[in-house]
Amino acid sequence: MSRNKSDSNYRYGDLPASAPLAMAYVPMQESVSPSYESMEALSRGTLFPGLDLPFMNLVNDTLESTPLTEMQAIDFVVDELELYLDTHADDREAFDLYQTMLALQQEARERFTKACGPIQQTDQLGMKDYAWLSSPWPWDYQPRMEV
Amino acid sequence: MFVYEKKLQYPVKIKTPNPALAKFIVSQYGGPDGELGASMRYLSQRYSMPYPELKGLLTDIGTEELGHLEMVAAVLHQLTREMTPEEIKRAGFDTYFVDHTAGVYPTAASGFPWTAASMQVKGDVIADLNEDLAAEQKARVTYDNILRLSDDPDVNNVMRYLREREIVHYQRFGEALRRTLDKLNERNFYAINPSFDR
Repeated sequence: MSRNKSDSNYRYGDLPASAPLAMAYVPMQESVSPSYESMEALSRGTLFPGLDLPFMNLVNDTLESTPLTEMQAIDFVVDELELYLDTHADDREAFDLYQTMLALQQEARERFTKACGPIQQTDQLGMKDYAWLSSPWPWDYQPRMEV
Repeated sequence: MFVYEKKLQYPVKIKTPNPALAKFIVSQYGGPDGELGASMRYLSQRYSMPYPELKGLLTDIGTEELGHLEMVAAVLHQLTREMTPEEIKRAGFDTYFVDHTAGVYPTAASGFPWTAASMQVKGDVIADLNEDLAAEQKARVTYDNILRLSDDPDVNNVMRYLREREIVHYQRFGEALRRTLDKLNERNFYAINPSFDR
């Protein structure tokens, strides 16, 4: 190996004679465990304690459990696992957890839809009337109208 | 094909309207590092991605960003409900109000409307993934700055949540870059674009 001399001001350093293109490096996450329970995951914005890096170390309180937040929490873990599986398609533990969460998601969806109305238009299968317009829109909130 | 789900990814419940906060939070709707640019960037970049894990990741993160766009809109909508002309003037919201009333419009806090010039689709996997890493960091810093400026706990819960998502996405894009480098032909020393130079 020889010193890579340069006329420029740039600091000297050792590089192999034919270095590959320099590349940003992010270490791979090794596993889905440890992971948060689903309501805590949703509240914090990640399933994974290892990626949980809050600004000024201020952390959201765990969300109150309601039919809506229960479903949002399960949906969130499903979404988070999908991103993980996109870069870790061969991780059996992650895929098993994903299967478990998908089963819970289906139950939570059915429970929520029955009590509060459709999440997707097609959830109206078997309903008596067109219910899409009668439940509140997700961006509308009045402090007095708690869901 | 996209299907709408009538729910937010994370609850948005702002008890106290405050147009002064909406004035700068709007940048995460239509600013240079906002959620509209994020979703358009990823959903547009995916077509020239060479490997299924990259097409999958950009589709899934791009879709999640559309959900974040809706969350930021919900924050803006709730911060600007039931405003009086006096409140609008006192908050300095008049310059937005005159053009958009209390509608949600994709613009930067500076007033510059959303532009595709703040994002890029290079059509090269290495260049695009590096852009995506940078985009996630810039969006995180924007949320840091919002948290520095806002003292509303209902707003800050949502901002902290969205900020954390940027960190997770950064990790995934970094992993995607690793996977890509592993897959590039070993003789492809200078990481020549595999979807163009065959």
